[in-house]
Amino acid sequence: MTDELIAEVKRLIIESLRIEGMSSDEIETDAPLFGEGLGLDSIDALQLVVGMENAFGVVVPDAAVGAKVFRSVRTMADYIAQHAA
Amino acid sequence: MNCFMFPGQPLARCASLPDDADFAQIAQLVQKLARFDLQNLAWLSAEEGTGEGNGEGTEEGTEEGTEEGTEEGTEEGTEEGTENLGLQLYGVALSLYRLRRLRLDGVQPDLVAEHSMGIYPALVACGSLSEPDAIEITWRIGAALARMAKTQQYALGCVLGLRAEQVQIIADHNRLHVANHNTSRHFLLSGTSADMAAAVLEAVDAGAFTARFFHYDAPLHTPPIERLEGEIVGILADYRFAEPLCPLINHLDQGSLRAREIPKFLLRELSRPVYWEKTYRALRAAGADRFFEVGAGDALKKYNRWIEGEIEK
Repeated sequence: MTDELIAEVKRLIIESLRIEGMSSDEIETDAPLFGEGLGLDSIDALQLVVGMENAFGVVVPDAAVGAKVFRSVRTMADYIAQHAA
Repeated sequence: MNCFMFPGQPLARCASLPDDADFAQIAQLVQKLARFDLQNLAWLSAEEGTGEGNGEGTEEGTEEGTEEGTEEGTEEGTEEGTENLGLQLYGVALSLYRLRRLRLDGVQPDLVAEHSMGIYPALVACGSLSEPDAIEITWRIGAALARMAKTQQYALGCVLGLRAEQVQIIADHNRLHVANHNTSRHFLLSGTSADMAAAVLEAVDAGAFTARFFHYDAPLHTPPIERLEGEIVGILADYRFAEPLCPLINHLDQGSLRAREIPKFLLRELSRPVYWEKTYRALRAAGADRFFEVGAGDALKKYNRWIEGEIEK
């Protein structure tokens, strides 16, 4: 997994969730995305699923897998690296 | 063009409540009119709930509220107040608070929209109802809904990721109704708890990204609520609705409600689905380009974000 992929994932989060006033640098790579982290919820998760599919062709099939994938930017990047065609 | 959007009942309380004079006033109103303590999310006894409210509404409205509260509070508000009803009051209180803050900041709505129980504070935003009356209607209608749980257990089910046709098939299989059409992939089912449990499993099997349910006092936004028609009409007859000062776009047919139509809408909306995507598209078509979510959470903004993404495609 490259730093470039980490940066792409951060941009994906900002663009998919239309987060205003936040740059990629402000998202910590290992911080939790849900709960006390960015405070994302299941609506956001579905938005990220669609964003990942569009940007990387990677499918997150359900919430159980999503709970692992969306733990942090790093886990998202790991999943993309493992599953991208 | 500014649009104030009023969300429905939140599923949980935020970690902290606003700590200022405006929220204290609204909390006092809730305590006085509904005997509900917002700080602790707890129902109060008749003695505890008699603190002086700081009503903004007419003297007549406050008086009526006090009398109703005293008479019915013992029966509904203290002994039979439910968690859902408390969350409804919490949601309405936060909406009224945020409305006050927006007004203080000089932000006014050109359009007002509502989702489900968000109609009550939305009426305040339009000048059709006073704050005390909105709180009292929330409590009285909520208490009527809560009594349905005496004979049957009900639930609402969130289904994310399936298409409308798939969700409708699952609803039909399980004797449920689609209560909210929030976006092309975000739906809420409503019906009995037993049927809901089966529907949630079916939704997961059908490929839903998430499907979960939570118990609710009544089959909200479904035809069985029509059983309460007489009671709801009686409650609404106690209030006067002024002509909205700005367009109030309703979530059923996206029309602009006039004062004379409001009581009928308040009855109908309880037994009909919420069509949020249609409402958002109607708001955009009407020229709204700045959206303020006036209440707890930001679910409506997130639905709008999803819909925008599909419009852009």
